[in-house]
Amino acid sequence: MALAMVGIGETRTITELRVKEEMKRHLQDLGFTVGEKVYVAGENSSGLILKIKGARIALNRGLATKISVA
Amino acid sequence: MSYTIALAGNPNCGKTTLFNELTGSRQHVGNWPGVTVDKKEGTYKKNKEINMLDLPGTYSLSPYSAEEIVARDYIVKEKPDAVINIVDGTSIERNLYLTLQVLETGIPTVVAMNMMDEVENRGDKIDCQKLSQILGVPVVPIVARTGKGLDELMKAAHKTASGARPSNQLLIFGDDIEQAIEEIKEHLTEGTPGDRQWTAIKLLEGDEVIAKTLEPAQAGTIQDIVDRMDSKCSGDTEAAIADQRYQYIGQLVKKTVKKAQSGHVETRSDKLDKILTNRVLALPIFAAVMYLLFAATFSENFLFIPGLPSPGVWLAGLVETAWGALTGLVEGGLTAVGASGWALGLVLSCMDGIGAVAGFLPLVLVLFLLLSFLEDSGYMARVAFVMDRIFRRFGLSGRSFIPLLMGFGCSVPALMASRTLENDKDRKITMMITPFMSCGAKLPIYLMFAVTLFVNSNQTMIVFGIYMIGLLAAVASAFILGKLLKGGEVSNFIMELPAYRIPTLKSVLIHAWEKVKGFAVKAGTVIFGSTVLIWLLSSFNFSGMCEMEDSFLASIGNAIKFIFIPLGFADWRASVGVVTGWIAKENIVATFGQLFGGVSDEVIEAVSAGEEALPAITSVFTPAAAWAYMTFNLLCMPCFAAVGAIKREMGSWKWTLRAVGYQMLTAYIVAFVVYHLFGLFY
Repeated sequence: MALAMVGIGETRTITELRVKEEMKRHLQDLGFTVGEKVYVAGENSSGLILKIKGARIALNRGLATKISVA
Repeated sequence: MSYTIALAGNPNCGKTTLFNELTGSRQHVGNWPGVTVDKKEGTYKKNKEINMLDLPGTYSLSPYSAEEIVARDYIVKEKPDAVINIVDGTSIERNLYLTLQVLETGIPTVVAMNMMDEVENRGDKIDCQKLSQILGVPVVPIVARTGKGLDELMKAAHKTASGARPSNQLLIFGDDIEQAIEEIKEHLTEGTPGDRQWTAIKLLEGDEVIAKTLEPAQAGTIQDIVDRMDSKCSGDTEAAIADQRYQYIGQLVKKTVKKAQSGHVETRSDKLDKILTNRVLALPIFAAVMYLLFAATFSENFLFIPGLPSPGVWLAGLVETAWGALTGLVEGGLTAVGASGWALGLVLSCMDGIGAVAGFLPLVLVLFLLLSFLEDSGYMARVAFVMDRIFRRFGLSGRSFIPLLMGFGCSVPALMASRTLENDKDRKITMMITPFMSCGAKLPIYLMFAVTLFVNSNQTMIVFGIYMIGLLAAVASAFILGKLLKGGEVSNFIMELPAYRIPTLKSVLIHAWEKVKGFAVKAGTVIFGSTVLIWLLSSFNFSGMCEMEDSFLASIGNAIKFIFIPLGFADWRASVGVVTGWIAKENIVATFGQLFGGVSDEVIEAVSAGEEALPAITSVFTPAAAWAYMTFNLLCMPCFAAVGAIKREMGSWKWTLRAVGYQMLTAYIVAFVVYHLFGLFY
């Protein structure tokens, strides 16, 4: 399922990054790798706030739909 | 012997704070990722032989943004004597990702484990000694904000820079990738062994910048190795490399970090975010914060208490009074020594010009102190995120909101605030449309027309209408410029939200002073020059000193007034008003006062009292023409102080001229439409 669908307070594992090469690299630099656990700390109409590798990352919903989790 | 030590680390890891502590230099501290785009240099305050360099914040050494390219190029090509890699101990796993890449370059490195106070507060423990043993480089625990551990850090850095001991050969990658690295290295001839190791890894990662530097002969064979590796890693060696780095870090952290609690731990910042970025509450809270910010800066009735000036207004009043007294003294002095009329006129008009800037300075100072506080506290990053949804619809990112909002106060600080925008295209568009937000100085123009020409209308609605025209012009412009300028679509929003911190007084002061200093110096020089010029033009013609109606300025007004025929105000005085408005927009009212036969001070007083100020202007302006005139002055080139700010922030005359050109064109077209549209109603 898409990361955008995950509810607040849930932890999921990243299975795929369906984005262009450059964004993929940036996501990896920020700790988004396949197999990594991501915690959804908050959401609003702009997008999601995630906790990944101890850092707090905000991203818009459009990007969150391109990250698959299980 | 002197050394160069570069600071490298993730955005928000406390790198700039450390740099300030080590060098004592005056420098910006921000929570916006990538705020230090320029190279910043200084010397270590306890040893002038050691040069310090603050590299842009970067998450990795693979180029994603301009900042990251700067940081990587410096480390790899210019090779500092040592790198201090700052690691935020509170998100150690993510931060060590950069550390591994810095170690790959073979540059002597010291790891500064920052935010150790917060790590301890959480009850976590980081075994720096063990980490140091495994990595083979010194790891020094520090707290950059308080200066704790910095002497030890610099001792270690000094030793590393002079001794140049290589780090341990780390076994990060699996056999397949390790073998491919060795194979590629055999085909590389240039540079040190460290360079070759690093280059080989980057080539496997598919780094195009590095691939382009290869000789054609090498490129073919190396590409074969890379392709072979790609097919083994199901087409994505880069992801495999990133994955193995993170796995290595995972093991490293397991050996050296003891966490008090496992799983997700809710921190104070998480709790604050639940409220401040809440789906329902975020916008009302933000509106309240912005209201307070503006009230503290501009309000005459602070906190709704009639007659209580805000700190900004109060300070501005003090400066104006002081400046007025000084002007009086100068006038008295010059008269006493028998200075000629023109000398007196020149000096006094210059003092008025500078006084106009000086009067703004306290407002700018208060505004920036408060904004710096919000920025350094970490709140601004949240605002950008919360506003992103709304701004995306107009083709801008959420980060444009702050400068645009500030534009209602004064364009100059608003334009300066636009530098916090990362994306170059967003920043340019924001700067071009910021002056469309009607600033405080433009308000007297609308009031003058409202009380004189629109006696029987709802005058508040007229002023409101003008503000709306500016807002609509800004929204439409964002849309149009978004299509015209290069830079692609609005990029996806992804940003690290730093932990909320109460900023130190020192960092807020340094931060605010940086901006105010620029405002005072640059805007001051522009204002000063233009004041002298306009005074000369309005006081002289070819036969010497004269009345304003016979001056060069009147001739210029008469020469250019034809331009405004389609807009309905082809009058030399109206034209001159446009020109004097460029010095300061409120100047237009004073100019009208002089040219339409009133005393400027009295006109301003009458306007603020809501009385019919200048009956004479009804003979020149029809109501529709008045609308067109107000619209034109709202949208056309802002005052010289603002143009100076655009020039400084754009960093190029070409883009400054483009911005001004766009504003002029927009002003003309919109005023034309307004004149003809409103002509149908009046």
